[in-house]
Parts: sequence; C-alpha cells; structure tokens
Amino acid sequence: MNKALFIISLQHELAMSIGNKLDLKAMLKVFLKVCFSRLNLTSGHIFINCDDNNLPSKLTSLEQTNYLHLLSIPQKNQGQAWSENNELSSFVESLSNAQQNISQQCENGRYFFGFIIPDHGLLIFETYYVLELEVQKALIPIFQKLGTSCYTSIIHDSLVKEVLSRQLVEEKVAFQAQHDGLTGLFNRQYMNSLLAEAIEEAHTNNKFGSIVFIDLNRFKPVNDAMGHSVGDQILLILANRLQSLKSEHIDVARFGGDEFVLLIKDLEHDYQQTVNNIINQINVLLDIPFVVKNNSYKLNCSIGYVFFPLQSSTVNNLIKFADIAMYEAKRAKSRFGKQYTPSMSDKIKRRLAYVDDMKQGLENGDFKLFYQPQYNHSGNIIGAEALLRWHHPVHGVESPAVYIPIAEESDLILNIGQWVLEQACRDIYTLEQLSLPATFKKVAINVSAKQLIQHDFQDKVMQAIKLNNIAAEHLAVELTENLLVENIEDSIKLIASLKANAIDCSIDDFGTGYSSLTYLKRIPASVLKIDRSFVANIEQSNESAAIASMIISLGKTLHMSVLAEGVETSAEFNCLKMLGCYQYQGYYFQKPIPFDEFVQLLSNLNSG
Amino acid sequence: MNKDLFTWYTQSDTLADLIIGLRLAESSGAKSLLLLTCNQNIYPEEELSSLLTHCSLPIFGGIYPMITYQETLLKHGALIIGFNQAYNVTLFANLDLCKTEEHFESVINSQLSATQDFAQNDSFLMFYDGLMTNIEDFIDSFFECLDHGISIVGGGAGYIDFIQRPCLFTNQGLTSNAVLLVTLPSKLTAQVAHGWKTFQGPFLASEVEEQTILSINYQPAFELYSQTIENESQYRFAEESFFDIAKHFPLGIEDINNNLTVRELLVTENGALQCAGKVPINSMVYLLESNVNNLIEAIETAAIELYSTPISTPTEENEQISMVFDCIGRMLYMGDDFGKELEAINKHRNSPALFGVLSIGEIANSQSGAIQLLNKSTVISTW
Repeated sequence: MNKALFIISLQHELAMSIGNKLDLKAMLKVFLKVCFSRLNLTSGHIFINCDDNNLPSKLTSLEQTNYLHLLSIPQKNQGQAWSENNELSSFVESLSNAQQNISQQCENGRYFFGFIIPDHGLLIFETYYVLELEVQKALIPIFQKLGTSCYTSIIHDSLVKEVLSRQLVEEKVAFQAQHDGLTGLFNRQYMNSLLAEAIEEAHTNNKFGSIVFIDLNRFKPVNDAMGHSVGDQILLILANRLQSLKSEHIDVARFGGDEFVLLIKDLEHDYQQTVNNIINQINVLLDIPFVVKNNSYKLNCSIGYVFFPLQSSTVNNLIKFADIAMYEAKRAKSRFGKQYTPSMSDKIKRRLAYVDDMKQGLENGDFKLFYQPQYNHSGNIIGAEALLRWHHPVHGVESPAVYIPIAEESDLILNIGQWVLEQACRDIYTLEQLSLPATFKKVAINVSAKQLIQHDFQDKVMQAIKLNNIAAEHLAVELTENLLVENIEDSIKLIASLKANAIDCSIDDFGTGYSSLTYLKRIPASVLKIDRSFVANIEQSNESAAIASMIISLGKTLHMSVLAEGVETSAEFNCLKMLGCYQYQGYYFQKPIPFDEFVQLLSNLNSG
Repeated sequence: MNKDLFTWYTQSDTLADLIIGLRLAESSGAKSLLLLTCNQNIYPEEELSSLLTHCSLPIFGGIYPMITYQETLLKHGALIIGFNQAYNVTLFANLDLCKTEEHFESVINSQLSATQDFAQNDSFLMFYDGLMTNIEDFIDSFFECLDHGISIVGGGAGYIDFIQRPCLFTNQGLTSNAVLLVTLPSKLTAQVAHGWKTFQGPFLASEVEEQTILSINYQPAFELYSQTIENESQYRFAEESFFDIAKHFPLGIEDINNNLTVRELLVTENGALQCAGKVPINSMVYLLESNVNNLIEAIETAAIELYSTPISTPTEENEQISMVFDCIGRMLYMGDDFGKELEAINKHRNSPALFGVLSIGEIANSQSGAIQLLNKSTVISTW
C-alpha cells in the first residue's frame, strides 16, 4: 500500500515538475533535479537529439540520431566533464542503439539506468542501488510527457530565436534608416526630422537653436592620394571626436562626404556666445592630428552656421543657409566660422546668374583665344601662350581673374577647358599651314585643377591633336605651381605621360607655390615660368632679383628652360637677361592679341 | 593537550578569557585555528571582530548554541583547536543577495576558481549561517558545481533565539549570510543517525512553499497534524505550546530507499507548518516519534560503525580528529539526558580529539553522494 502510494506520489511530483520553464535546458534541469532528489541519484544526465547545426530538434528517423550531451547533475566527475567520461559515453551509445530502457552495473559498483525521452533524447540515472522494475515502469508515462514538453520547448526556443532575430533586423533597419553607414552618426534624413522637431520646440519654448555646418578643407586630395580607406578612417576619427560634443542639447550628423552638421537646441539669449564656444571646441578637436596607418594628417575645416527661428523656420532653408555660410567661410579661409547673412545668398544668386551667362557665352562664341607671343633674347618669337578672353554682352570684356575662379567652382571650367584645348588645336593647325619662323616652337594652354584630375584628360588632349591633325610637339600645357603641389603624384604621372607623347609642360607662376626641391626633381617639366610678381621692377628689387636668380640656377640644374612672365619694361628685360634668363613674355614685347593679329605678326616676321 | 593538536577550552563567557586562549593558540605552533563559541557568551561584537582580524593565524569557526568537548557540554565558553596544518578556508559571503540558481552558480564557480584547485581535494567541513533562508539552494548549487564524489559535513551556526546575527568567524571578522568551506588535508568519513521512527502516515505533502507546508493530504497542514497527534496521544495543542508538542513529533520525508530525512517543525501560522528545511512538494511524509533510548542507541550504533573502521591511520604528523555536529533540537528534546548521547559517542572514539557543536541544521552526504540538509540528526565525522 505504502509502496503504491510512494510510486503515485513520485509520478505526481515528477509530472508536476515538467514544463515549469519554457527554455529547453532550464525545463529539463528542473525535472532532473527533482529526479535527483526523489530517486536518490548519484548523478543524472540528459542527452538531446540535435540537428546538423547541433541545435535540439525532434527525432525524425531512428537511423539519424545525433544525441549530444545537454546537462548533468553534478556538472563534473572528479574534475572531468561528464561528456569525457568513457563509461557514460559507451552506455549512451548502447542506449541509443537499443532505443529502449537498459541498465548496467558500473566498475565502481554503481548502476546506470538508461531511459528514452520519446522523439527527443536519452536520460541516464546513476544510482547506488537497483532501481526497482515497477518504479522504472512507473517512469515511462512521465518520460512520454517529458518528450512532449521537450517539443514545446524546442518550438518555443525557435520562436524566441525568430522573434529575437526579427527584432534585431528591425532594430538594424531602424538604425540604418537613421544613421550613417560609415560613422554611425545620424544621417541627413534623420537630422532633418530632428531639426523639424527642434524648430517646433524652439517656437513652443521661446528658445533658440542653431545649425552648424562643418566641411573639411582639402580632404579630397588626401582621399585621392592616400585612397578611400584612409579617407574613411579620417572621417571615422572625426565623427568620434564630434560625437564627444553630443549632449542632451546637441545632435551630430554626417551629411555625406566630409560634411558634418551639428544641431544645437535650447539656446538662451547668449546663443551667439554658445555657438562661438562650440566652434572653438570643434577647432580644438581638429587640432589633434589624424593618425592613420602610421601616417599623421593635419586637417582643418570651414564652418557656417545659422540660427532658428531667427533666420528661418524651415528645415531646407536652415540647412541651405548654413551650407552657404560654410562656403563663405571656406572662401574667406576663416577658422572661426561664418554666420549666414542674406547677402551671401544674393552673392550666390549673382554667381549662379554669372555662370549662366558664361554657359550662354560659350554657346554664342563670345569666348575667344588671344595669343601672347614668347620671345628669346634675340627678339625671336619662340612660341605663345593661349589666353582666354570673354566679351560679356552687357559688361563688355571680363577679366579672367573674375570669371575663371567662378567657373572653377562649377563644372563649367571643364567645358571651357575643353573648348580652349580644341580651339588651340584648330589654331595650331592654321599656323602649321603657314611657313612659321624657325624659332617658333609651340602654343601653350592653361590647365585647371578640375581638368587635371579627370582620369581621361590625356585622352582628350591626344584626341584633339589627332582630330585636328596637328603635330603634338606644337602643343604645350601650363600648370600652376600651386596646382602641381596639391596634386603632386597625379601631376608627375600626367606630365611624364604627356612628355612621352611629345607634349611639353611648363610650370606657371613659379616661385609662389612652395614646391619642395624633392618634388621638383621628379617633375619632368620643360619650362619654369618666373611669376610676374618677381619680374615687376626687378631691376630695383634685390629680393626679386635674388629669387629670379635662384629660379634661373634651379632651371639650369634641373635642365629646364626659364621664362619670365609679365616683362613690361626694357629695364626689367635687361636685368633678366643679365641674370641669365633668356626667354620672355610680356607687354614690353607684345600684349595678348587675337589669333588673326597673331597670324599677321608671324607672317610679317617671316616675310620681314 | 596532545602533542600534535592544540586544544583549549573554557566555560567562561568573557572575552578576556577567550583572548588568553587565543594568545596561547597563536604561540602553540599551530598553523590554523578552529574557534567555536557559545551563543550565550558576553562577547561585544566589535571587540570579537577585531580579535579575529588581528589574529596572526588563519582562523575559522562560529558561534553555536552550545559546543561539546569529548563528553562535556559547554553552554558558555569557547573551544579552540589548533591544527598543525594550514587549513584552506573559502568564504562565500553575501549569499542573501543570490536569488537564482544561476547567481549561486556564478558566485560559487568564481570563488572556487579564484581560491584553489578543488579537483585535488574531496573532503570538506562546512560552517554556515544556520538562519539564512537559502542554505539549501546554496547546497544544491554547490554540489552541482563542485564534483561528484566529495565528502562533506557541517552545521548551521547562530543563536538559539532564532534571531539572525553575524555568527561566522574568519580573519575578516564576524559575518552572516555566509558559508565557510574548509578543505581538509585528509580523507573525511562520517556517519549520520537520528533514531526517529514513523508514527503516523504516510501523508502527501500536497501544498508546499519552500520550508512551509500549507496542506497535507489536501487538508490544512496544522489541522491534519494536530488532529493526528491528538487522536493518537495525550498531547493537546490547546494546553501546551506548539513547539513543546512538535519537538516530540517531527516530520520525516521518506525516500525511495525508505530512508527518513527528519524535518523539525518550528512554528505554525495561518494553518501552515514551518519546517527547519525544505519539504519537496508531493513528497510522502510521516509523523515521527522516538524516545531518549532510541535516539541514543541510534547515535551509539553510528559511533561504533564509524570508529570501528578508521579510514586513515594516525601518523606522527596527523592526529586523527573527530568532530560532531549534533542538532540543538535533540538537546531540547532530551534535556538532561543529552549528556548520555555525548557519553555514547565518547566511549567509542578512537581519536584523542573529539569535539563538536550543537547546530541549527546539519550537513552530510546522503548514501547517494548528494549533500543533504538534516534536522534533529547527529553527524559524527573523522579525518
């Protein structure tokens, strides 16, 4: 009677302990612990069938069992994991093969009793006594129930995993929707929505806010020269530094490329001072060199800002205004940032209109090439520089000093440069049809930074030469020293390649670009052109004479010809000649003249 | 005092006398000290703690309701044993903060891996705060984490008024809610006995919350318990206090091998019975009874069994040591006859050093090897 009651209570207790937890391992551990105490076990072990990924799964076929050790109580056996216990492992193998309850006496006199958890696993009890048959039989329905609970747990586990992975994906998508992929800062779209909220709050709370637009100066050359991986690292470092400014009132976003934006909220009436302080902090953050792959880069930035709701209350305008102010700061090379003013927009409008005028001018043929001859010390013309002239329909003749920088800010400079190249080639063809003086060698055209960094620039040059059927050696290019220094590696490659195709290169405005001798030695240019600033009144200035002298000896050392620009007086000419400069260009000899006049000049010389 | 083991005890309840004993122990050449004191001593807590922190030797032990030395029962005073080896002591503190099995396992594993290589040792003494409520959870996790095949004995320290106070000794001072694990240098053997027999039952513990039995056989627990006793005995709950009757009729949990684990009943509240240890839900329980002779006879049988089969031979370096963890509940039941239990153990001892404590709960391995919390039992150990 008592035995029967004991078995019933045992069954009841074991059955009640099943399914108390949802997680498979936790559920089985609760069950095993109850077995352990109620059955006086010495140790208890559960092995669970697993799929190819070693994840618990329901057994589909008895031929494909893969029982893996899940848990043991106690966890170890004399310092060793149970999964490494040979006696237990071989018993598990026997049990797996038998697929029915088995038992064996162990070497230490104890017993192993093995049970099947239907469709799911194996249960092994180690006892110091023989588990009576009636107790073993009483356990069978319990293990049936345990099997069902295992299935529920596995389904639950997989649902939990699925929900978790879905949650992760959703979080990732939500994160990506709001954050920049490279830096992890907020992206443009999210910043726009934050700004919209901030404008609203500023109105409600009678507070002020600001958008601070930050753009790295001279980042592109670093990116181009050192590769995007270095560029990305620099942006990442900068993003982390800017993130240090983030607070309850400050959000940081990357707008793309090297543009970053700060949104500053809840400003009081000292808003100007607060923004000034933040700009100072930004500059301090940039003062620290960026160290990437053992190289150190020193960068600074241009900053523009605007206040809301004072200057605008729309997202688009605020971003646009801060951007405009940033460009103004960049132009002015200001480190302290510029606040947006409406006059900046007017200036931009005027610029845009001016660019339109240039486009129109290009289409209408208002651009012309003038030629300024270049002379040797005997007064012979040795070549000419092709110079662009624009006759504005309203303003008349425009200065290149005005329209070239504006054209360079837009891609229009590429169209203009291409036109210059093609027109010069057409003019060279005309010249080649004449009988030119023996001293006349070539026509040089000026090349802009944007042309230079075009990957197909040389192809375009060669194509123009071929199309106009001219001799390549009659064309030369002029690059300013500043341009060379900024794009040194690309420039060296281009000049060498052009030279291999018989096209010479001159270094324009030489003496103003701080080029190092190391670089200069590597540049395969043919001519150094002494900048006009050293030529003006050279006979009266010891400094200018010294610099000119230095350039002349440098030319000799590097086997380059030296040509003086802007020679306007006989005194200058005589001085230069005395210093050893034998090639000249300037009003003293001839001002730039239309092509027809240039042809006439050459013809006269020839006939003369 | 024998040549290998420093032994000192006093029946004085003042700290000044304890200090004398400690100074003697420190200069005795012992490598580590076991200090056991009685809960009725007049020891100012701060001064006692400072004494421990300033002790020059590793020290461990605790405050127990009473202590025993050979066949002497000390209700006041202290006992110091100086071992000629440095015993390794690991303290598991702040255990009241552990609320889950995982938390216990992480505390135990980090402590064990930080202190010593337990794979090399398999014999331990455990001193613990007998009034911490989660000692059984600790024991379960401890057994799971430590190993298969360890030998352990121990007893709960604390005060007989069942108010929890700092009661464990280490070189860090006095502490509560903690367990002290002492690694023994030689193999531990132990015998457990209680002498209680089934009186009524079996019953089903149908509703249980940890140590509280809410219902037995689906009836309110106290109702069934009191009715059964009143039907079968002269005791009347209306006439005596609950504990005065309940100490005669503890509960017994029967396991599959017909062994009885005793659970002392402490109080009744709202029709439920509060036990000094967990009762598994749906387990079969009995009402137990006994008498002084049966209790002593069981303990004497255990002592003969233990002392007649010494595991290790005493050597010049290692004297055989014997320690008893005897439940305070047995003393409360037997009263003046309790001295006979000590005599029964003492007359069979084969080791010069026999000492022990009257504890609030006892710890020992069951036949299967698992660690069990016992009540109203006696654990006799030697190493």
